[in-house]
Amino acid sequence: MRGTPFGPILALLALAGLVAGAGCGRKGGNDQASGQQEVTFWHFWRQEWITPLITEFERRNPDIHVVDEQLTWQAGQEKIQAAIAAGQAPDLCELGSTWLPRFAASGALMDVTPIADSLRGEIGHWEPAMQGGRVYGLPWVVGTRALFWNRALFRAAGLDTTRAPATWEELLQAATRLSARPGVKGFGLNAGERYVLFKKFMPFAWGNGGEILTPDGQRAAFDSPANAAALAFYVQLAKQSLIEKQDVIDRAFMDSQVGMMISGAWNLRVFAEQAPGLEFDVALIPRPAPKRGRHASFAGGEYLVVFARSQAVDAATRLARYLIGRDAAVALCRAARSVQPAAMGAEDDPYYRSQPKDRLFVEQLATAVAPPPHPRWGEMEEALDHEIEGALYGRKTPAAAVRDAGSAIDALLAEDRR
Amino acid sequence: MKARSAFAFLTPFLAVFTLFSLLPLALSILLSFLDWSPLNPEQAGWVGFGHYARALHEPRFWGALRNTFFFVAGTIPLTTTLALGLALLVRLPLKLRTLFRAGFFVPSVVSMVVISLIWKHLYAPFGGMNALLGWLGIPPQRWLLDPELALPAVMAMDVWASVGYYMVLYLAGLETIPAELYEAASLDGAGFWARLRHITWPALKPMTLFILVVNTMRSFQIFVEVFVMTGGGPMHATETVVLYLYDAAFHQFRMGYASAVAYLLFAILAVFSLLELKWLRSEQRTLA
Repeated sequence: MRGTPFGPILALLALAGLVAGAGCGRKGGNDQASGQQEVTFWHFWRQEWITPLITEFERRNPDIHVVDEQLTWQAGQEKIQAAIAAGQAPDLCELGSTWLPRFAASGALMDVTPIADSLRGEIGHWEPAMQGGRVYGLPWVVGTRALFWNRALFRAAGLDTTRAPATWEELLQAATRLSARPGVKGFGLNAGERYVLFKKFMPFAWGNGGEILTPDGQRAAFDSPANAAALAFYVQLAKQSLIEKQDVIDRAFMDSQVGMMISGAWNLRVFAEQAPGLEFDVALIPRPAPKRGRHASFAGGEYLVVFARSQAVDAATRLARYLIGRDAAVALCRAARSVQPAAMGAEDDPYYRSQPKDRLFVEQLATAVAPPPHPRWGEMEEALDHEIEGALYGRKTPAAAVRDAGSAIDALLAEDRR
Repeated sequence: MKARSAFAFLTPFLAVFTLFSLLPLALSILLSFLDWSPLNPEQAGWVGFGHYARALHEPRFWGALRNTFFFVAGTIPLTTTLALGLALLVRLPLKLRTLFRAGFFVPSVVSMVVISLIWKHLYAPFGGMNALLGWLGIPPQRWLLDPELALPAVMAMDVWASVGYYMVLYLAGLETIPAELYEAASLDGAGFWARLRHITWPALKPMTLFILVVNTMRSFQIFVEVFVMTGGGPMHATETVVLYLYDAAFHQFRMGYASAVAYLLFAILAVFSLLELKWLRSEQRTLA
């Protein structure tokens, strides 16, 4: 794209129209009177989880004052982009791994490669933050999905209660047996909402050796026998499933109406709070056959980014370094119980040793796969979801669905190259 | 002199209107000819009518347009008829008449987001609607997840939520019909249907047209209901034009393209509104 004289006019438009929903962010910078640096920090965590960390950081760094603000998952992205357009972006911001590539490619984020280089021995999961060999975000916490299973329902259905299904066949068999019981569905399968579908299907595709893009990221690799077979299995599994949105499935699992589901670690906290008597366990996502494929899953993460326009780069990076450090990240993960630290060796922390279910998620992460860090991943995800749903609703054969998803992704890639 | 003081009184409104409506409106026309991402506000490329052409070749745009037309064509006749029916009913000298009037109108003053959330729960798999079907011996439905059922389900909610407002408009219209007309008609032996057909309906025509115009403009821009209840799914079955352009603007960061889609919708809406207004004027002339 070439530059035009429309910049100032558009900035005005942004101010008039977009910022209305953005509230007023304050720019960081030096406070002349006290010599304190102010740094604005936007994140998605409950105040009771994040405030202790910020307080501790300010105690250790008396020259920095942190002004933090909690974003919501529903409107966070809109708010961030409105703030960028209006030149009111915060200094430091939390971004999800699937959003980061687009922000990075647009030039809105500061290149943090030198910081990354100094942290490579301590922190993992850099791949989603990379664009063209440079690093644009610091890995904070990572999350994955695992198989939840209700042991009491397994017992009632006469299934093995000592271990969870480990292969596709065992999964389907268990689901069928569970579904035979009145008021119970064997599996909870997602449909009808954004950002969720592909995270539940791709574990089967990745586990079967399937891919979304070619290794060089230049072409779609989705139209493959491995992916078609995974989708065919998924459609079969759907027949024994409650097909619903995530919150409904989580609820149904809690009420013992669904025997198994693929979901995230946040349920460990939710179930402990809301269904303390629920007899459940978590396991790796089943692989295609006993000695074939992998126990793959979806890997996502939260990254800390510094905006290119920040006036408080030093304070922002110091805060980021503190937050992604093992101690702070473990403290946050213990409070939120939905994610694991990106810091290496966190699984050796006494907390994870004492919590086998939380530890399983750390173990699942080892074979989890992150979606391609492409600037247009959002649209690719949309295309995948659409075709997977088409197969689930019987509108298309699995083979046609993976073919159409592949060509949709190729069209996006071709458009992006132009 | 008079004009000058009138202008002075208008200034506060004009200033706000210019700054927050006219200017953004003009700028969004400009935006629809540009390739502009809010993530990169200094960069903008001129693409001419490229976004418009792109939209017209995009199956998702046509799908959204089809859903929007289906929504408009499905809800407006139903809402209008029901509103008239309710207005006639709550004029009857019933006990608790005020309660009924207020009850039907209440959804109009409740936020659409709140209504949508409540209905989302009613349509949930173990929610109220399926419980109701259970009593009637009908198997539970997957209201918002069935591509065939999702849009009609949202439309049913919209009719319920908006009918009260138009009922009040009809009530106001009914008040203006002189009682002597009905008395005379009754003396001539006209029954309920004859009076409805030959007195009430013709007398209410300007109000009906007003309701149609207002409701058309509102329904073409349907957004909150689908945004809250379905997010456009399943399989884009409930994706309306405004939801589609919202997605392009705020999830795909294609502000220029989204603006172009908005102006395409504006063009369609303008044609419909002009036709309706023309009809309204000709009707008013025949009445006068």
